[in-house]
Amino acid sequence: MAKVQVLNVAVLDNPSPFGNPFQFEITFECMEDLPEDLEWKIIYVGSAESEEYDQVLDSVLVGPVPAGRHMFVFQADAPNTGLIPESDAVGVTVVLITCTYRGQEFIRIGYYVNNEYTDPELRENPPLKPDYTQLQRNILASNPRVTRFHINWEGLADKMEDSENVDPSSNISGMLPPSCIPEKMPPLGLIADNSMDFM
Amino acid sequence: MKLLKPSWVSHNGKPIFSVDIHPDGTKFATGGQGEDSGKVMIWNMAPVLREEDEKNENVPKMLCQMDNHLACVNCVRWSNNGLYLASGGDDKLVMVWKRAAFIGPSTVFGSSSKLANVEQWRCVTILRNHTGDVMDVAWSPHDVWLASCSVDNTIVIWNARKFPEMVTCLRGHTGLVKGLTWDPVGKYIASQADDHSLKVWRTVDWQMEANITKPFSECGGTTHVLRLSWSPDGQYLVSAHAMNNSGPTAQIVERDGWKTNMDFVGHRKAVTVVKFNPKIFKKKQKNGSSPKPSCPYCCCAVGSKDRSLSVWLTSLKRPLVVIHDLFDKSIMDISWTLTGLGMLVCSMDGTVAYLDFSLDELGDPLSEDEKNTIHQNIYGKSLAITSTEAQLSTTIIENPEMLKYQQERQNSAQANAGPGGAGPESSAPKLNSVMNGESLEDIRKNLLKKQVETRTADGRRRITPLCIAQLDTGDFSPALFNSVPILPSGSSMSSQLTNQLSSDSSPGQLRPSHDAMLTSPPANSAAKGLEDNNDGVKSSLLLTSASKIEPMKALDSRFTERSKATPGVTAAISSTAGLTPLDSRPKDALSALKDAKTKEETSSDSEDKMAAINKNLAFGKRKPELLLDGGEVVEKRKKGRPRKDKVAASIPQPFPQVTPPAEREASRVSAPPAPIAVLKLPTPSTKKAFSLQVSMEPSVFLEVENEVSVVAGSKLSQLRCSRDGRDWNTLLPSSVVTAAGSSDVLAVACEDRMLSVFSSCGRRLLPSIQLSTPVSALHCSAHFVMVLTAGATLSVWDVHKQKALVKNESLLTILSGADTSVSQSLLTQQGVPVIGLSNGKSYCFSSSLETWTLIADKGDSLVQCADFRSCLPTHDAPVSSGPLAVMQGRNLNAGRLASRLSSTPHHLQQSMTLAFLENQLASALTLQSAQEYRYWLLIYARFLVNEGSEYRLRELCKELLGPVHKSAATSWEPTTLGLRKRELLREVLPVIGENLRFQRLFTEYQDQLELLRNK
Repeated sequence: MAKVQVLNVAVLDNPSPFGNPFQFEITFECMEDLPEDLEWKIIYVGSAESEEYDQVLDSVLVGPVPAGRHMFVFQADAPNTGLIPESDAVGVTVVLITCTYRGQEFIRIGYYVNNEYTDPELRENPPLKPDYTQLQRNILASNPRVTRFHINWEGLADKMEDSENVDPSSNISGMLPPSCIPEKMPPLGLIADNSMDFM
Repeated sequence: MKLLKPSWVSHNGKPIFSVDIHPDGTKFATGGQGEDSGKVMIWNMAPVLREEDEKNENVPKMLCQMDNHLACVNCVRWSNNGLYLASGGDDKLVMVWKRAAFIGPSTVFGSSSKLANVEQWRCVTILRNHTGDVMDVAWSPHDVWLASCSVDNTIVIWNARKFPEMVTCLRGHTGLVKGLTWDPVGKYIASQADDHSLKVWRTVDWQMEANITKPFSECGGTTHVLRLSWSPDGQYLVSAHAMNNSGPTAQIVERDGWKTNMDFVGHRKAVTVVKFNPKIFKKKQKNGSSPKPSCPYCCCAVGSKDRSLSVWLTSLKRPLVVIHDLFDKSIMDISWTLTGLGMLVCSMDGTVAYLDFSLDELGDPLSEDEKNTIHQNIYGKSLAITSTEAQLSTTIIENPEMLKYQQERQNSAQANAGPGGAGPESSAPKLNSVMNGESLEDIRKNLLKKQVETRTADGRRRITPLCIAQLDTGDFSPALFNSVPILPSGSSMSSQLTNQLSSDSSPGQLRPSHDAMLTSPPANSAAKGLEDNNDGVKSSLLLTSASKIEPMKALDSRFTERSKATPGVTAAISSTAGLTPLDSRPKDALSALKDAKTKEETSSDSEDKMAAINKNLAFGKRKPELLLDGGEVVEKRKKGRPRKDKVAASIPQPFPQVTPPAEREASRVSAPPAPIAVLKLPTPSTKKAFSLQVSMEPSVFLEVENEVSVVAGSKLSQLRCSRDGRDWNTLLPSSVVTAAGSSDVLAVACEDRMLSVFSSCGRRLLPSIQLSTPVSALHCSAHFVMVLTAGATLSVWDVHKQKALVKNESLLTILSGADTSVSQSLLTQQGVPVIGLSNGKSYCFSSSLETWTLIADKGDSLVQCADFRSCLPTHDAPVSSGPLAVMQGRNLNAGRLASRLSSTPHHLQQSMTLAFLENQLASALTLQSAQEYRYWLLIYARFLVNEGSEYRLRELCKELLGPVHKSAATSWEPTTLGLRKRELLREVLPVIGENLRFQRLFTEYQDQLELLRNK
């Protein structure tokens, strides 16, 4: 059983200009005192095409973590624009928050991020070279995608074999747009709550 | 009878293995397979019972879902008081859940958005002991115990008042144990397993009462579960899968003599589950007819792999009702409401059915009083009628002494529990607000500014999270959650919902419109249609904002795949802008580390050289080719030699607490290779001067200065000693090689192989002793002197008595191995010499047995496997430091492997632990280490009590008590190692008294001790 449960992630300062730092207020609960720190990372996916363009915006250790409910704000600088393919600057991408314990990732929280020009003029005729100063970043805070992995919390020498549980939805989601993953389907009649608010 | 299949009770189509209705009838739990884990779900009963509630959107259906189990949940069971829910699963765990009061609804973060958990149930204990899938769990009457059974062939009884304490583990099944049931009277627990047997165990001593095999001999292990059941009057036990004339049956076992004469016949496939109605019924009295006294009867539901369900009354020869084709797959579990009129059935096909009976069909349920009267008539005073404050077991305490002891124990336990902490309440977690009245909203506003951020040694950012609530033992504090909900989901909804829940929850009649209605297929398809519709809406929504669907697909996989970037973070970081501090810092740290390393290297280098020097000295007479390390060592020797004197001289004179360097080095030098006939141990080198502190209390310093003056051609050495500030000195005709001392005696060994012994005041106590070979190690302790010579012989003298305890004993016996060398030697306060060898073994020479005895072996598998942690005294200080502890290492790694070897059969581990503890006792005895002997004796006794080895316990008591009447012929010694044996017995007895099973033993010896005391 996972010793750490993420209870909530609040996306602060959203939407915001592209150059603003990312701010996530993370609330988590821990079942028992953790002898080691948790390591949190924010990864910005620069391009959907390849993981090459992933940028680890920052990584922090969080600790000590006694049993109980805790919160902290994880702030990380905006991505290095130089590392983002120009064709992928505008549009939808993903930012990931991962947490690892003893080097094992046990939770991955993903958000869709929409980068858009606020100026209608620019929106209609986007410049060839993206103008990052005019871009607005909008994180789809209402629809986090959480994947949990089973890890060995005890940290004994014999590590649990990589019993990673791939989110079953990924197997069937090939043809569906991201928010329509059956597993994460909201009950009937609640579509609005789950819809995009970056329009 | 009315029948309903609530289609909304589902685990998304995954199998439901277990169902249990809460004792208050307002909710029920299901357990089974989740998406990628096991799943426990708690459902509202009201929508099952009433159609208007089912339709009312404000009445929640699902109350809580818990996916903490790592693998499929096989069983969920409410405790009788309704406070706890126990679940057992394929992840080998039993989890105990408790409702967290005062927390409003919350979503599981990131799960299907607004599907709120209306009630918060959280895991308060995880019970780990099973080494295989847990198949069934059962609470004993009055929730004294929780039993769980597993495919590891065992049944574990947990102390439900003190989780996670284990009461016992029932062993005896040779196959997967798949079902459990408690006797309603509390005297027995029955289990059924794949080993073709049903076993009944007594709760008094947890021994097997009956082993019923005949009806099961033809059975194959074809069912997932074998949930058997005990009738509410306690008279009958009904098994799951049994065979009679190659037909599947449910075997009825009579309590009286465990006879197996009757069975329920008719199912076409194996019976998976039997569940008795909790009520006892009597015939419905018709108006007008004369009230005939009729025999009360029980009602029993039987579910089978053939997908059908039958309900029987023990007063009828044929089933009351049989329902075929209720499910698509095997029935897995059945649960009755406490009223006895409703029943939930679940199936492997992932659906649940609710059956509602009328009083006309089943009869008049007896009231609890009437039921108790029946129990009383049959069993006399039964546990079922004693109050909940009843004693933990039905064992009658037989004597006042024991009663007194038990009461004392209870009192002290209560005192320990402290005010307000009573029983299970105190073991539940609690979130205590730690916010000092500050509202959460305020905290959140300033969190970024306020939170403590530091840099670790390697330059990484480290945030100390703000603790907003501590997990504590107790219940959830309302203070925290009244103020501001942490979760964004509407808290206003919560109170509404809970109100709804409580008002609607009274179990009532099923609405008529649900009569015999199996609604699942249409509902499903309708739902599907809607889902499709949803998809459409969603995608269009998305399309408006982002015109790129293709990359989205690619992006999507990122949510679920563990990033490859994880291991290569550093690279990623360095390429990221704005992280300069990170870049520079590690370098500093690295260089610092490097410095440290080089320092370490040089120091170890010099030590190597020292060792080489030593080796050189030890084997000085032999040819260099004989040296093990060949050229390199020789080279070092050449370098080292000129440095020898320098090193020696550089040792500061007044240096307190310096262990003689000679001794340290001796331990590093390995023994000569085996083929050499004469064993030789390394000898310390002669130094110009050295000093050492031989005793702390009183503080005694010893200083040696060699060749201080030359008188008439012979060089004199000076020995100076300061004791509590008073000095004395003496001169010796030869250079002092090594010295040792205790508070009583001082001993020095000289180059001419003479050993001189002085009192602490400088008086020579013994004439110079001529040793055959140079001294390798010299120790003093109390009034004993121990000498280990280079010729590998050992001598110990008692200076007071002027007697030899050990006389030139050869180490040949223990140094027989190829590469063994002496790595440690010491002398205990009692004058017992102990030799530690490089192969991890330690020996002491027992002067009474005149032989070498093994006292510790670090590589001993017994040490590795022994698991006596549960027997360690809690209040006592950890192992008192004694010679045994020193030789075995402080952090005795006993039991370290124990957890990993959990697959080892218990009896094996038990034997290993026993053997280990007995070794410890014997070793402590040989070492004459009284404190350690007492320490291990108590652990040993506690272990025997836990494991129930009465024979050994009795023998131990007998030995400690000795003969009650004095007679000349007895050889019994009243003391051991200066400890009075009867005092030890007095310490051991309370340990024995903790297990009621040994109360006779306790009483017997308690009485005899009293008798002896009065004498």
